[in-house]
This record gives sequence, C-alpha cells and structure tokens, in this order.
Amino acid sequence: MADKYDIRMLSPDDVYFSRGNGGVLQGVVDGQPYDELIIYRAFPFRYTDSYISIRNAKDEELGIVKEIHELNEESAEELTKELQFRYFLPRVTRVDSVKFKSDLWLWELQTHLGPTRMAMRNLHEHLQYPGGGRVILTDMHGKRCEIPDWQALDAHSRRQLEEVL
Amino acid sequence: MNQDQLPQNLRNKDKDEVLFSVRTDLLSDGSFGEQWLTVTAQEVAVWGQEEAPNVRLPIVKVKDARAAGAIGGGMLVADTQDGPVVVARYTAAQTSTFSFAAKLISALAKQEELPVVSERDIPRTCPSCGNPLLDGTKVCPFCMQSSKLAARMLRYAKPYKMQMGFAALLLIMTSVVELAPPYLTKVIIDDVLQTKDMGSTLLLLILGLGVTMLLQSAMQTIRGLIGVWVGSKLMGDLRKDIYKSLMRLSLSYFDRRQTSQFIGRVNGDAEAMRQFMTDGVTYLSGEVLRIVAIFIIIFSLDWKLSLFALLPVPVMVIVSMTIWPKIERRWYQQWRSTFRLNTLVGDALQGIRVVKAFGREREETTRYEEANGVVVRNNIRMEGLWQFVFPIFGFVAGIGTLLIWYYGGRNVLHDRMQLGELMALIAYLGMLFGPLQWISQMISWANSAMASAHRVFEIMDTPSEVPDTHDPVPLGVIKGDVSFEHVTYGYEKHHPVLKDVNLQVKAGEMIGLVGHSGAGKSTFINLICRFYDSDEGTVRIDGVSIRDISQSDLRRQVGVVLQETFLFDGTIADNIAYSKSDATPEEIMRAAKIANAHDFIVRLPDGYDTRVGERGHKLSGGEKQRVAIARAIIHDPRILILDEATASVDTETERQIQEAISRLVQGRTTFAIAHRLSTLRNADRLVVLDRGKIVEVGTHEELLSKEAGVYRKLVDAQRELSQIKGVEG
Ligand SMILES: Nc1ncnc2c1ncn2[C@@H]1O[C@H](COP(=O)(O)OP(=O)(O)OP(=O)(O)O)[C@@H](O)[C@H]1O
Ligand SMILES: [Mg+2]
Repeated sequence: MADKYDIRMLSPDDVYFSRGNGGVLQGVVDGQPYDELIIYRAFPFRYTDSYISIRNAKDEELGIVKEIHELNEESAEELTKELQFRYFLPRVTRVDSVKFKSDLWLWELQTHLGPTRMAMRNLHEHLQYPGGGRVILTDMHGKRCEIPDWQALDAHSRRQLEEVL
Repeated sequence: MNQDQLPQNLRNKDKDEVLFSVRTDLLSDGSFGEQWLTVTAQEVAVWGQEEAPNVRLPIVKVKDARAAGAIGGGMLVADTQDGPVVVARYTAAQTSTFSFAAKLISALAKQEELPVVSERDIPRTCPSCGNPLLDGTKVCPFCMQSSKLAARMLRYAKPYKMQMGFAALLLIMTSVVELAPPYLTKVIIDDVLQTKDMGSTLLLLILGLGVTMLLQSAMQTIRGLIGVWVGSKLMGDLRKDIYKSLMRLSLSYFDRRQTSQFIGRVNGDAEAMRQFMTDGVTYLSGEVLRIVAIFIIIFSLDWKLSLFALLPVPVMVIVSMTIWPKIERRWYQQWRSTFRLNTLVGDALQGIRVVKAFGREREETTRYEEANGVVVRNNIRMEGLWQFVFPIFGFVAGIGTLLIWYYGGRNVLHDRMQLGELMALIAYLGMLFGPLQWISQMISWANSAMASAHRVFEIMDTPSEVPDTHDPVPLGVIKGDVSFEHVTYGYEKHHPVLKDVNLQVKAGEMIGLVGHSGAGKSTFINLICRFYDSDEGTVRIDGVSIRDISQSDLRRQVGVVLQETFLFDGTIADNIAYSKSDATPEEIMRAAKIANAHDFIVRLPDGYDTRVGERGHKLSGGEKQRVAIARAIIHDPRILILDEATASVDTETERQIQEAISRLVQGRTTFAIAHRLSTLRNADRLVVLDRGKIVEVGTHEELLSKEAGVYRKLVDAQRELSQIKGVEG
C-alpha cells in the first residue's frame, strides 16, 4: 500500500478480472487474488465507463480503474458485465408511450434489456437531467432507466417525450 | 401472495413441498424476463421456460445466503462450499421479497428456525390490474377513477352548500334575466317601431329593460359577495388541510425533497383549486344553463335557422378533443419549469452565505438564467397554443353567425321573417358563442385546478411512514427502559445503515454512543425518537414497542438536541419554551441556566426577547446549541438525547453544561453522542458503533482494556492528536 491518503489509480497491468463458477466477479489486484470483488461507479451519471472503484468483499477500496477500455479484453468484458448487473440501468431504445392515467404516469419502454413499463406518481420528482440530452427515469419502486440522449431517439419517441420533458 | 402463485406445470414437477416461491422480473443475464425461484427444504431452484431448472442448488451445499443490493436492482447470492453463487437477479421493486428469500435460505442452510413471511416482505400489487399498490394504501390508483378527483375537491365546498346554493339560485335568475333584453328588443322593433303605434307600450318596454338591467346588476353584486366569502373560507380550509398533511408526513418524505418547494405549493395549489370551485363551478353551471336556455329560445323562434348555429359545434368538439391533452401536458411542463426555478431560488438564498463565501454569485445568476430561459420558452409554447385556440373558436363560431345573417337576411327581404326576430336571433347567438369562448377559459381553469388537486391530494394521500396506531398503549410517565431488538434500518431499503442492533438500556442509565462519522449514531437515536420506523426488529420503551405508543405521548417523554441546531423564527424565550408553551419565565430561565445559556442571553440587549431564527439576531454556533439544550430539557423529559449537543462549545463551557446536565440526568435515561470522547466520561456505558453494527459495549475502562478494540483506537488517536496540539487532556 503506497500512500494511504491518496487515491490509488490502478494501471491496466495491475488488475485482472474474471468470473467465478458461481457467477461472482473475482480477480487479481496488485498480484493478490480475490474471490469476490465489489465495484462502484464513482460518477455513475457523468462517467459510466471510467473511474470504477474496485473493492474487496469487506468493501475496502483496492483502487480505481480509470478507463475500462484500457484493460485487457476479458477483464474489460467482465467488468462491463458486472457494472451492468450492479447498476441496473437499462438504456431506453424507444419510448412506446407515455400516458397519464388516473393519477399515474405510465411509461411503456423498449430498452436494450427488453421491454418494460414504469409507473410514476408525478414527473417532477422522478425525472433527472444530469446534462446533455440525458434523462434518468426512476419509478415508484426505485427501478431506473436511462435515456442517453433523448434528441437522438426516433421520431415517435421524441414526440412522446416532447410534452413531458 | 396472489402474484406469486406458482405455475401449474412447475408445481407438479417438484415432489417436495415448496416452502417459498417467487417470480423474478429479471433473467440471469440481467435482461427483463420472468423466472421462478422455488425454495424447498432440500434445494433452491430457478426455473425458466424450459423443463429443467436453470439453477439447482442443494441446500446441503449452501452455507449462507444474502440479497446483495445494487443500484436499481440486486441479486440473490448463495455462499456455497465452492464459493458464492448468483441464484437470481431482480429489480429494486422486489428487494424486500428477495431479502426474505435470502433469510429463508440462510435459515434452512444453518438449520435455524424458519422466518415467517410478513406483509412487509411482499410488495403488494393490485389484485385486479397487477399494478403496484402504493405503500400503506389498499386502493389501486389505476382502478380509481379520476372523476373522483373533482368529486373530492368539491367535498370542500360542502360546508358552504347553503351559500353556494343561494349563489346558484341567483345565477339562474341572472341568466334568465339576462335573456330578456334581446327578446324585449325584438318586441320593440317588431311590434312597436315597425307598426309605429302604441307609444305607451314603448315606454313600458323600456321600463322593463331598465328593470332587468338593474336586477342583473344587483344580483351580480350579491353573487360576487357570496363568491368572495365562500372562496376565502374554502381557500383557508384547503391551506389548513395541506399544511396539516405536511406536518403529519414522516421525515423520510422530506429527506427526499427540497423543502423550499412546499412554500409555493401550499398557496399556489390552494388558489388554483379555489378558483375552480367558486368561480369555475358557478360560471360553468351558469353558462351551461344559459346555453340550454338560449337553444330553447332560438329554436322556438326559428328552428330551421337555428340549426345553422349548431353547425360549428362538432368542429369545436373535435378541436378541443385534440388540443386539450396537449394543453394539459404543456401546463404541467410549465409548472415543472417554474417549480425548478423556485427551488433554485430557494436553495441559493438559503445557502447565501456559502454562495458569498465562495464568490459564486455570477455562477448562481447564470444557473438562474438558464432555468429562467426554460420557463420563458415553455411559457411561450403554452400561451402560444392558447392564442391559437381562441381565434379558431371565434372564427368557427362566426361562420354560424354568417350563415344565419345570410339566410335570415334573405328571409327578412322576402318578408318571411320579421326584422326584430332576426335581430333577436343574432343577439342570442352572440350570447351563445360568448360562453363557448368562456368555456375554453373554463377548461384552462379546470385544468390547472385538476393538476393542483392532483398534487395536493398526493400530499394528503401519502401515508406517513411512521403511522400512529389505532389503539395506542397508554404510557403515563415512563420509567425510561429502552431496548433495541434485532433492529435493522436503512434510509433506502436496500442499503441498511443499522444492522441487527441489540441493546438493553435500563432506566436512568447514561449511554454514550461513539463511532466513526457515518457509523449510524444519529440514525440510532432517530429510531428512538421514531423519526423513522425500523425495517426489521423492534425498539421498545418500558417494554412497549414504540409503534404502539402514540407519537404525542412519545414526544412528551423524549427531549432531543439534534446535531443540526435549528431555531425557529421567534424570541429566545419562545424557542426554549417550544415544547412547553405554558412554561413560566422562571422555568425558562432555569432551563437556560442548566444549559449554561442564561448568562449570555441576559447580556444580549434584548435578553430573552431577542429575536432569533431566519430573520433575527444571529447567534453563534455554540450559543445556538445551548439554546437547543435548554429547549430539550425544559419539559423535563424521561429520555434525553444529545447528538453532538456540545460539539461547538469550548471545553470549559462544556464541562459546566455537563455538570448541570449530570444533575439533571439522575434518574433519566440519556443517550449522548460525541466525537470528543472526554464529553462522555460520565456515561455509565459506552456503545461503539461501526458501520451500523454494535461492536463493543462497556464502561470506559472496560473498553480501554481491550487491546485491539475500536474504542481503544479512537481514544489513542484522540490522545495523540491532543498531544500534538498541546491542548486538552
Ligand atoms: N436522511 C438520510 N437519508 C439517506 N441516508 C442518510 C440520511 N441520514 C444519514 N444517512 C446515511 O446513513 C449513514 C449513517 O448516518 P448517521 O447520521 O447515523 O451517522 P453518524 O454516526 O451520526 O455520523 P456523524 O458522526 O458524522 O454525525 C451515513 O452513511 C449517511 O450517509
Ligand atoms: Mg450524526
């Protein structure tokens, strides 16, 4: 351990990630093997694929991976997959409809993980705009979806969104 | 467990009795889809569409199970001999269900007593439509009709139904009277002017016209007065109810929201609703009445011509039907942008010191300008649409009139119709389309009222997350025993901040809570105050679960000094007497004396009458804390809670406060939190919290003797620090 008071940035050679038989993320960090690793995004909204905090099962930080794509192929793939599991944030590919029906806003969405629907009691507390054209939708139960750039969606979706964003 | 009925084909497959089954909403690869998790005494299995299960895990191989929460979802992980295994994945909606599944599997694996499913473990969905039910309510928002919104709103008008009825009666009369002039004009033209006789009749008719005009004005005035009276009353009732519901809501509701937003909402929304109920409803019923009457009259005058008047109506209906939903949404859009603007202002002004301290005035202004730009844009869009609606309606309506002019005029030329009759028809038509234009205004009112009502009722319907029981256990004066039994709590359900906390505190004990920042100390005392309810386990006072104690009873027994000191707008005396409004000046001074505040207060120019709070005299951090301590002890609570109550005062003052408090503390249960460990030297026992768990309990000496103890480390660290600084012992 170098400096306790500094952020430890892990270089691509320091880490290696793989998936255990049970489907849990494991790997080698600084030459030390771990059979369970926990990861966090430091900036879940701003930098989805950078600044990943790598922690052991006791939730102690081992270091930060700056860019996923700089890692070797397998590690990058596993890390991306794990992020997808941990940050369950389906990307919206199409907005089928947004309806306001008896007190609830109902969203019918197509995401890259399949179709889903969301229910919100209102819009002003359930939509977040982190900047750009991004929108984060959170439904009544904490389920979240992301629209990476609503201007980039197809015309139908944009029409649906125009009146609600 | 309606939704969790295991499909028939699965049920037959398993020979063993299924202890628990649940439908997941994610597939193993994390995409949306359904699978079934079944737990039997022998194994855990996950079934997809196929015959064979996707995952099959014998219980004997499982050591433990846990629901690993992540963001927006989570996974059920079983720790086996061969390392951890991901059993199933789910979205956040199912967190509680899978926490239970994990507990069950864990209990099976360790051969402990099996947990029982409680209502809290299974998220409820509406039995008829399958949509999620709101916490604590039985009614499904989907199956509820929105027409109820209007009905519910009108319930506020009920106490004033006499007055409103009278106003309605006047309204009917005004409408009838209003309809008279065109008819009288017709008579004047046709029967008097054109025949050129009956001079006395002319006078009579004009007199009639005059009387109707007078009547009309009189009735309008009276109706207006009633409207103002009822309106103001209604508005008062509404505001009172909104405020009451806000006060009733639990802290967690406000944790998630900026509080400044409510300031505007209480007034704005109440006003919109009032407008609809008084002006809106009376106008609407009046106008409908008038339209019906006008149709009857014009049809009796000349039904063929009148049909022309009906021509534009379908067009108008179609236009309205397509345009209203748009308007409604833009309305909400505009409301939201204004809302954002207001919160921005609220935030910046509340933090004005920070803004100034960092010299960020320019940036704040830019932020405001951006939000302001959005409001302006939405305003233009909204009002623009509006500008479009009016002329269209006017134009379409005008076409009907043109047609009547044309055909009616021809009829008059061919002597098939009298001039006066045509004039009357045209006049009535004018009166008919007047209201039609009004209707668009009406709908806009109704719209904003409905939107407001929706938001207001949303506040009123939000159940408090710490509901009072229906039959509270009467407490009287309590002894002060406090116990925590397997208490787990997280501000967000999937992220527990306190984990399985157990503690028995005898009446009169003083407990010191120590631990790193963020360890959960404040959360611990929040649970004693019942600002939040534990997710699992119970907190008991004198052996009674605090869920069974009425909150007013509880608050009477507990005195708290919170970490963030807040003083209300008012005098120091008011603030000290906050929890005991009938406190005498002596009591106030005595409390202040104990809190070591008396001297500095008396030295202030305005003494105990010094105005503090938002607009008043700014007390220093330590002074504020001392006033807060006085506020906590004035009503002589049986349980005293001090969260960093003396963190901002110097050690000498602290020592004095402590001595005073220690006299007060006798026979009282006290919980004190402090980072400065010397503060807690009087404590009977110290409780060390670390990441939400109690790791050590004992006296100062006991804990200090533990070589590698957490407390020992904390003490050592502080000693080291003070030696470096050369202060404190
Ligand atoms: N209102 C809240 N909403 C969400 N999370 C909260 C809330 N209050 C506290 N937390 C979280 O709960 C954890 C415990 O907080 P708590 O206030 O109990 O800590 P503490 O021990 O009192 O710390 P400190 O000594 O700094 O006051 C922290 O991680 C904090 O981020
Ligand atoms: Mg605290």
